[in-house]
Amino acid sequence: MQTRRHPFRFASLIAAGLMLSASPPVFAQESSTPVPPELTEQIVTGIMTRAVDDVIRPSYRAFQASAGKLAEATGAFCKAPSDASRKAVDDAFRQAVTDWGHIEIVRIGPVIDDNRFERILFYPDRKGTGLKQVQALLQKQEEKDTDAATMGGKSVAIQGFGAIEFALYGTGAETLMDKPDGFRCRYAAAVATHIETTAGQLVAAWDAPDGVQDDWKHPGPQNPVFRTGREAITALLGILVHGAEAVRDQRIETFYRNGGIARPKSAVFWRSGNTWTSISANIEGLQVLFDTSGMRELVDPNFASINENIDFVLKSLGHIAPMVDPDVEKAVSTPEEQQKINFLLVNTRDLILRLDAGYGGAIGLGSGFSFSDGD
Amino acid sequence: MRGAGVHSALLDRRSFLRMAGAAWAASLGARQSFALSRTDAVFASGYRDRDGSFGIAVLAEDGSIIDRTPLPARSHGMAFSPATGHLVAFARRPGTFALVIDQSGKAAPVTIAAAEDRHFFGHGCFSPDGRLLYASENDFDANRGVIGLYDARENYRRIGEYATYGIGTHDLSVSDDGRMLIAANGGIETHPDFGRTKLNLDHMEPSLALIDAATGALIERHTLPEKLRQLSTRHIDLDDKGRIWFACQYEGPRNDLPPLVGSFCKGEDLRFLSLPEETTLGLANYVGAIAVNRRENLVGLTSPNGGRFVVLDAKTGSVLREETVADAAGIAAAPHGFAVSSYDGRFAERRGDIAWDQHIAGLRR
Repeated sequence: MQTRRHPFRFASLIAAGLMLSASPPVFAQESSTPVPPELTEQIVTGIMTRAVDDVIRPSYRAFQASAGKLAEATGAFCKAPSDASRKAVDDAFRQAVTDWGHIEIVRIGPVIDDNRFERILFYPDRKGTGLKQVQALLQKQEEKDTDAATMGGKSVAIQGFGAIEFALYGTGAETLMDKPDGFRCRYAAAVATHIETTAGQLVAAWDAPDGVQDDWKHPGPQNPVFRTGREAITALLGILVHGAEAVRDQRIETFYRNGGIARPKSAVFWRSGNTWTSISANIEGLQVLFDTSGMRELVDPNFASINENIDFVLKSLGHIAPMVDPDVEKAVSTPEEQQKINFLLVNTRDLILRLDAGYGGAIGLGSGFSFSDGD
Repeated sequence: MRGAGVHSALLDRRSFLRMAGAAWAASLGARQSFALSRTDAVFASGYRDRDGSFGIAVLAEDGSIIDRTPLPARSHGMAFSPATGHLVAFARRPGTFALVIDQSGKAAPVTIAAAEDRHFFGHGCFSPDGRLLYASENDFDANRGVIGLYDARENYRRIGEYATYGIGTHDLSVSDDGRMLIAANGGIETHPDFGRTKLNLDHMEPSLALIDAATGALIERHTLPEKLRQLSTRHIDLDDKGRIWFACQYEGPRNDLPPLVGSFCKGEDLRFLSLPEETTLGLANYVGAIAVNRRENLVGLTSPNGGRFVVLDAKTGSVLREETVADAAGIAAAPHGFAVSSYDGRFAERRGDIAWDQHIAGLRR
């Protein structure tokens, strides 16, 4: 029988090459199968209200605020380039990446309307389409491209994090310090302002009392999003399952597969060294949604280990992700760092299974969440 | 959804045995042999086992499992050729494998890997002579559906592709004479970089296309009216007069009540069926599979979202039967009515502890 391991001992265990999986502890209990909850209106509304009011809306607000600070810091840096103003930009960029990472896990609702998700982050850019567009734009130096107000009508690839990251950290970014108010810097500031605008649209959509928040909180026959409580709770679980899948498939395996060819320059935010900042924020976002929404209360108390194991794996992932070397090239080529990344891959896979089949089964999705996604 | 690429009577036990061969039958255990000896029809379906592994099973009419073949990952639809006895399981989108199993046991299974910059959409069909396998595929960088052509005589070498004249192609079938391919273009853009995420729900382009099987030329393309642009046309089956029945999944507001089923013949406009409101509500705006029972002139529908199994009169469109089936998954014509499966282990009369996938192939000839 396995014993409970404290997550904060992982670093030494990994260093010793002793473990790959977080191996959640075996909790005593359980026979037969969990009794699915009765999804009463009160219970569903309670959980959905907490998810919306205590997680989703505050997260979008935080993201809007940090995007605003990034725009402000970048504008100030453009006017007076210095080591101090540059550091302010770096800090603001990292915070904006973090706050987006927290709410990025929500891939349904207003964020998928009008290509907002891609406007904020055009990734992966496998064929370098976005990169080429940004490079061409910086080459041409047309003043209209520094106008945040008209950016929304242009290619999504030149108006989000990928674009500003290249402007601030990509090839040629050292010229930003050369003179005040250079084109490249003003373009970066405009992109930051545009990200703030897009974030503001999301805040407004979620804050409208009769809009999406009401649809999420009150499933019913006339509801355009969720007709039943079961549909709403299933969608909430979908955020977790798809969010965990995205961390593994779209954020890590795009540049690193155990035993495969590493492509460090395909990693999200590799230029700014924020790859793991972003991935850690995704994991934190999953943890906050799982903890705060009260989803765990739906699981039969006799099967509490389903929640506890999810919690354990999330904490383990959240502990290891920030510890990976931010230099992605180094991370994918150093055995010790590779072990940490392998740990993340193995345990995101485990997390998906625990959410999908474990939690999904416990709340009444007999064959699990993903299997029920017919096609 | 059609299991086979040709359409006539269901394959009865004797015919199946003749096709499958004595060697295959001799390899079965006592329980499986008993099940085969008692069945009037034979089916195939993908499944997920208790340990999370995937496979494809051959089943008797009562749901007892006759044979299993493991698969590397989850499958979706199937194609069967009575002419060659080959059964193909296609990977679920955005999967990149298809496994060909020779039911006679004479040839080893063949794994088809998707071409570079393509993935399978989960469905396909055989030409009536079994020489060509047609697979619905995604040319994801160009965001267009294609039909991959594979030569069965050359170990399923990919010999070319046709356009489907649409995006998000899903089900694919062929006319009884083999001259016309029918593509259900669901209209939803996906890209393997984004997993199964639907990328264009606010500007979908569903359509149904009839394509010349010899040349790949477009014969007819039916788009949907603007008010139904979020109605994804995903699954099809044909009746004995060549009428194409199609079933849809609606991506628009959940409180809309769009038509979910329709039919048309070559040269006709699409005709949507006006189902009673309670039936549409029961189907939860999502028909997961459709099958036509030609002998009894019935159309069967299943909805996992609504937990519903519905039988329609193909002549009048009226609802003949409506049943609650939790997690209803696959459906195929049976000697009488339909065989229906569920994610939670039901297949026809039996319930087991493996999860049946979305489709059933009636092994026909």
